[in-house]
Amino acid sequence: MAVATAPDRKGIGGSIRRIEDARLLSGRSTFIADIGRPGIWEVAFLRSPVAHANLVHLEKPAGAEDRVFFLADLGAILPIRADSQAPGFRRSDYPAIADGKVRFVGEPIAICLGRTRGEAEDLAQAVLVDYDELPAVADIAQSRNPDLPPIHPGWSENVFLESRVDVGDVDAARAAAALSLTRRYRMNRQAIVSLEGRGVVTYRDERTGELVVYSSTQFPHVIRTALAECLGMKERELRVVAPEVGGSFGVKNNLNPEELALAALTRRTGKALRWVEDRREHLIASAHAREHRYEVTVHADGEGRVLGLEATIEVDAGAYSVWPWTAPMEAGMAIGFLPGPYAITSYRATALTCASNKSPLGPYRGVGRPGACFAIERTMDEIAAALGLDPVEVRLRNYVRPDQFPWKSAGGKTYDIGDYGASARAARDMIRPERVAALRQEHAGSDWRIGIGYATYLEQTAHGTAEWVQRGLPVVFGYEQAEIHMTADGMLVMDVPIQNHGQGLETTLAQVAHDELGIDPAQVVVRHGDTSLAPYGMGTFASRSMVMSGGAVGRACEALAAKIRKIGAHLLQVTEENVRLKDGEVVAAGGASVPLAEIAMAAYLHPERLPDTVEPGLSVIASYRTARDTGAWSYGTHAVLVAVDTGTGLVEILDYAIAHDCGTIVNPMIVDGQMMGGLAQGIGTALYEEMPYSEDGQPLASTFMDYLVPGAPEVPRARIEHLSIPSPITRYGIKGMGEGGAIPPPAAICNAVNDALRPLGAAIDETPLTPDRIIRALMAPQAGEAGA
Amino acid sequence: MSSPRTIRFTLNGEPVSATIMPHETLVDVLQHRFDLRGARESCGQGLCGCCTVHVDGKPVSGCLFLAVFADGARVDTVEGLARGDALDPVQEAFIEAGAFQCGFCTPGFVMMVKQLLKEHPEPTDEEVRHYLTGNLCRCSAYPEILDAVKLASARQAEAARRA
Repeated sequence: MAVATAPDRKGIGGSIRRIEDARLLSGRSTFIADIGRPGIWEVAFLRSPVAHANLVHLEKPAGAEDRVFFLADLGAILPIRADSQAPGFRRSDYPAIADGKVRFVGEPIAICLGRTRGEAEDLAQAVLVDYDELPAVADIAQSRNPDLPPIHPGWSENVFLESRVDVGDVDAARAAAALSLTRRYRMNRQAIVSLEGRGVVTYRDERTGELVVYSSTQFPHVIRTALAECLGMKERELRVVAPEVGGSFGVKNNLNPEELALAALTRRTGKALRWVEDRREHLIASAHAREHRYEVTVHADGEGRVLGLEATIEVDAGAYSVWPWTAPMEAGMAIGFLPGPYAITSYRATALTCASNKSPLGPYRGVGRPGACFAIERTMDEIAAALGLDPVEVRLRNYVRPDQFPWKSAGGKTYDIGDYGASARAARDMIRPERVAALRQEHAGSDWRIGIGYATYLEQTAHGTAEWVQRGLPVVFGYEQAEIHMTADGMLVMDVPIQNHGQGLETTLAQVAHDELGIDPAQVVVRHGDTSLAPYGMGTFASRSMVMSGGAVGRACEALAAKIRKIGAHLLQVTEENVRLKDGEVVAAGGASVPLAEIAMAAYLHPERLPDTVEPGLSVIASYRTARDTGAWSYGTHAVLVAVDTGTGLVEILDYAIAHDCGTIVNPMIVDGQMMGGLAQGIGTALYEEMPYSEDGQPLASTFMDYLVPGAPEVPRARIEHLSIPSPITRYGIKGMGEGGAIPPPAAICNAVNDALRPLGAAIDETPLTPDRIIRALMAPQAGEAGA
Repeated sequence: MSSPRTIRFTLNGEPVSATIMPHETLVDVLQHRFDLRGARESCGQGLCGCCTVHVDGKPVSGCLFLAVFADGARVDTVEGLARGDALDPVQEAFIEAGAFQCGFCTPGFVMMVKQLLKEHPEPTDEEVRHYLTGNLCRCSAYPEILDAVKLASARQAEAARRA
């Protein structure tokens, strides 16, 4: 990853510099906290200090009755209801602010207003609340404990859903196996952490009559739909705008109770309101992630070929089902992705989505897959160790082969194309395992132990209608739209309903436009995140935007290009077949040309210059779906070399290599940045980040002192190799890749640590691999594999 | 209750004054009195570096630094770096190296890197990492930030040789 050099390509494939950079660097761009209105009130939420309680009595501070609001003060408002279509799903209604009961520490109880945030917080402290505390469900193991109270009315046990998969013949696999292994794995709960927290600004636009909701969100149109439903309003009465969004990673991809609460209060009072989440709120009360436990039994033959796989998966989804994902999504992804890149045909598994008195679980980069990858990739290494085989060799014997695509997996997914073995061999070549013996020799007699680890991942991206229907969500994210306009002076404005929050989409969509229209990306403006600008669309998540929005922009540009060619040919007095678009001009075969500006001038201001068959104007709206709904599958193999200090339990990453395939690459510099960013977050999951709770449901990390986010010293420079097999189902062959970097690092790093510790008889199967856990594993050889 | 007081300081080269409460932080005063929003509060505890500004030539966490202590001082923010449309060489290097994604933390990094290059014009990798331990980037462009620092350092050296 050298410093980007001067671009020689402006379209797809070029490492052009990002269009959005200068404004972000100047400090002048507009994030949610920068949006004001005359007379705006700052909002502080009074949040529950207890995990589970009935609210017996609420009392506003005397004299502040018009600045403190409970649920009953918000007018007609429905709770957030994220129902899974899966049979047996238990419903949880998530109120905008507490409805007589609190179910996790941090749940909003009252909205308090002040002229400053400090004033509003002081007011929140003065609200009287009488809590009748209930026992808290604070661990997965308690979800079926009949002595604990149900978290939601009418529940017989604190479980959202239990689902099963049973394909092939696992019993036959067990009978035929030369090796059967059972292992337990844990990936603990994490906060998600964007450096800009969530935030909402609401006001009434008297001119349009709209209730305007600015929110630091990934999907404004979908939020508008959800708010309209909860508020009983028409969509035309609402405008939702996402301004500059300072990181998200999934945490801003839910309908938040705070969005609903502020919108309802502005509707009721007419007041302009601003809520900017602080760090403590973010860590304890925004959606959390992960918290998976696995018991995996694998059956293999003597050569390490997997004959069958059994698993019990438990996920703690917290107190509420988040909209639109639903509580069971995480466990559903885990059970669907556990077979991973392997040609496993016999698979039996149970996935339990437990409820608890913790913050709800939401999507975070990778969603479900980091846990599933951790479980299956640790298991592949365990097979290799048990049989005395090389871990890459075992994987090579089990991957779905290139001639087997499209592959219908035992988890119910359809993989489109790939060469998983090529990624593993490339990663192995980069990490050079032959170095390990010498390194071990070098450190012999010291506390340092050297280990090497691999993990292969799959990243389903840009999945369409059928896949989302299968997941049973309330919304089906099957397509994307784009609306493009050429201006009267020949530049391009693209209105897209996706939301760029660091992915560089303003640049990469302009690169697509360059390929279709020959226009310089610097002449393209991409506007996003505003329901009043763009046609309906689904937003940015699930590694979908480059494929889906890139496809929609491509289709729109293709249609516009056809019209431009017609006009250009007419102006040049040649036939349409004899012109092409290049460098901002329509060029005839003979070399004569007419600039886009002149064509736009004719289209808008001089219709007398147009051919009779062409309508004035240069606007196109287009929608795009992939050729198949099953997703474009990126994949890759990570390889890592670590040193473990057996004295302190510290893990040092000595070298990290990634070989991956994300199809056609639109901007290599941006792809490398996404891959590195995902890797860093994966390193956080592997080594540092954890959101523990006490037995009574108190979150134990609420600052960056106790919630450790990787910094510059913790993130090594990885070497990245791109394999780039185009997807057969997407325009341009692009595959999404925003999440992949975060999926395999916990597995690869844990495999490397276990490789280092194996000669000592110690094993560790729980993230994060903190010094404390490593020391405990070393003190209790053989016990580490229990995952406790 | 404490009473408001007036402070006078030099902000990005211009003399300014503000009447503030003693508990107000520098980042609050910059944001709300001077509409300078590049330094941003993220953690509120001096642990993330998003609010980094310079006071009398030294980087401080604006979320912890009480504005009253800026009385009589020179305060420099990211908004003061560019000269018209021309970005500062450190900002240019961040663009060329692809050293940020969402951009929320970037002004804080840029201000810290300015200080680093002032004290260590040709820093080693270890010095860069050491200086940046107080700045978090969740998009995690750390290796690219390191590239940007090296690039800015090389340009600075080149400019010094020519001068």
